Amino acid sequence: MDIRSRALQDGRPTLSIRDLTVDFPKRDGAFRAVDGVSLDVWPGEIVGVIGESGSGKTMTALSTLRMLPKRAVVSGSIELGQRRILDLSPADMRKLRGDRLSFIPQDAMRALNPTMRIGRQVGEPLVLHRNLSFKAAVSRAVDLLRAVHVREPERRVEDYPHGFSGGMQQRAMIAMGLALEPELIIADEPTTALDVTVQAQVLKLLKEIRDREATSILFITHDLGVVAELCDWVYVMYRGKIVEQGSVERIFMDPRDDYTKMLLASTPTLFPREAAI
Amino acid sequence: MATAAGFDFRRWRLVLLGGLLVGIVLFAAIFAPWVAPYSPFDLDVAKMLQGPSAAHWLGTDELGRDVLSRAIYAARISMQVALLAVTVGLVGGTLIGMTAAYFGGLVEQALMRAMDLLFSFPAILLAVVLMASLGTSVLNAMIAIGIVFIPGFSRLARASTQAVLRQQYIEAARSIGMSDIRIIFREILPNITAPLMVEAAVAFAYAVLLESALSFLGLGAQPPDPSWGNMLSTGRGFMAQAPWLSIVPGMAMFICVLGFNLLGDGLRDVTDPHMRE
Repeated sequence: MDIRSRALQDGRPTLSIRDLTVDFPKRDGAFRAVDGVSLDVWPGEIVGVIGESGSGKTMTALSTLRMLPKRAVVSGSIELGQRRILDLSPADMRKLRGDRLSFIPQDAMRALNPTMRIGRQVGEPLVLHRNLSFKAAVSRAVDLLRAVHVREPERRVEDYPHGFSGGMQQRAMIAMGLALEPELIIADEPTTALDVTVQAQVLKLLKEIRDREATSILFITHDLGVVAELCDWVYVMYRGKIVEQGSVERIFMDPRDDYTKMLLASTPTLFPREAAI
Repeated sequence: MATAAGFDFRRWRLVLLGGLLVGIVLFAAIFAPWVAPYSPFDLDVAKMLQGPSAAHWLGTDELGRDVLSRAIYAARISMQVALLAVTVGLVGGTLIGMTAAYFGGLVEQALMRAMDLLFSFPAILLAVVLMASLGTSVLNAMIAIGIVFIPGFSRLARASTQAVLRQQYIEAARSIGMSDIRIIFREILPNITAPLMVEAAVAFAYAVLLESALSFLGLGAQPPDPSWGNMLSTGRGFMAQAPWLSIVPGMAMFICVLGFNLLGDGLRDVTDPHMRE
């Protein structure tokens, strides 16, 4: 029941985080946002990190992108393929972002530049990392938008973000994340700002991408329903620590940690069980 | 908002009125050789200090030159000076403000304290000092007035940049591996142009006044080249016999400054989302 099927196929995880600690210095000591987190994402695997606000899940994601606020003190190791992320120079890190490692933010509306046409933005990674011309990038953007099921992409690339609905904006962000076929996509609550039907479509799309491109996805969320729908493997975070990990089935059927039990019990269901705590 | 249903005249009326006045001045400046009835330099001592007449609509000056023609040619100099001065201030101030806000820390402190230093001088005094060290010429007047404008534009650019930096699309740009320079020019600059343009229109009016003040003091355009400032300066000596010598350049200045101020205010209202209903 609790077997990590994808882990058996390949000898090496796409992403491997070991003993990650993130501190924010304060006047009296430091605030520890992430406390000794270790996690793996295997090729073609969708891994969920679930926890409440302030549990350190977003900080873990931002550490992997090396996009934490400047004052954060990070220790531990993060490996993407063979690369030791925390040892890379800023220039090398920049080359990695958007190319081998891409990020899908929470609120696509605010993550798109309102003054730039969609096609230009979706094609931007190609301009940055593959030296494509503006025109070539936009024509690639058409294919990318088609791949994420935006209708009439030839026309849509000319639109500005405000002409896109919330779901379409998130699709555009996903298309941008896919542009260079990254090894790993980090998605930080990409469906939180969307309504439920659109959310379901976006989740389906992410799954489809994983099946088609064998991309690994690290999915940050506080939503148990989304985890159940999408993920292969789940890490539960609480106060900067990973309190439990396991396959989705196991976590839902047989939660072992008290916090996980509480989390499951706090979700409203049609047939409430007695809360364990 | 100008919708498909119709053009909202009330919202745009300041812009239209300002634009009309500015348009008149610009038209006169650009087409001076065709608009002006006489050459601004033609002397006719027999007709000196004549009041308005059919031949000379706005009278003649102390050397018998046509006042209307001189005022029209003076618009040329004023517009040239204002255009270049605002460009110097806008480009310099924007670069400094964006750099300061983007990099923060010591860079910001150094740049903004230097701006404070410039700001602490009264504008006209600073311009006079700069003119004294650069030498008296129209080109130097442009540069001096431009430098006077740099601190104002830099503060506005810095504040606007700080607001844009908090937007998620900046984080998104970083997450696809964009470099700092590219983020500044492609992501930030297009998003801070609206307030800068408004400021530029207002600065234009101020530049016209400053140029006139410098010319009045004998530091800008040199006689016999006409400028509203030096026309006023000469007219002052004939206030009792020939008041039109002062009234005409004064009115020209008034129309021009009013036009740019209305345009600036109108643009601010139109671009300000809070003023929209």
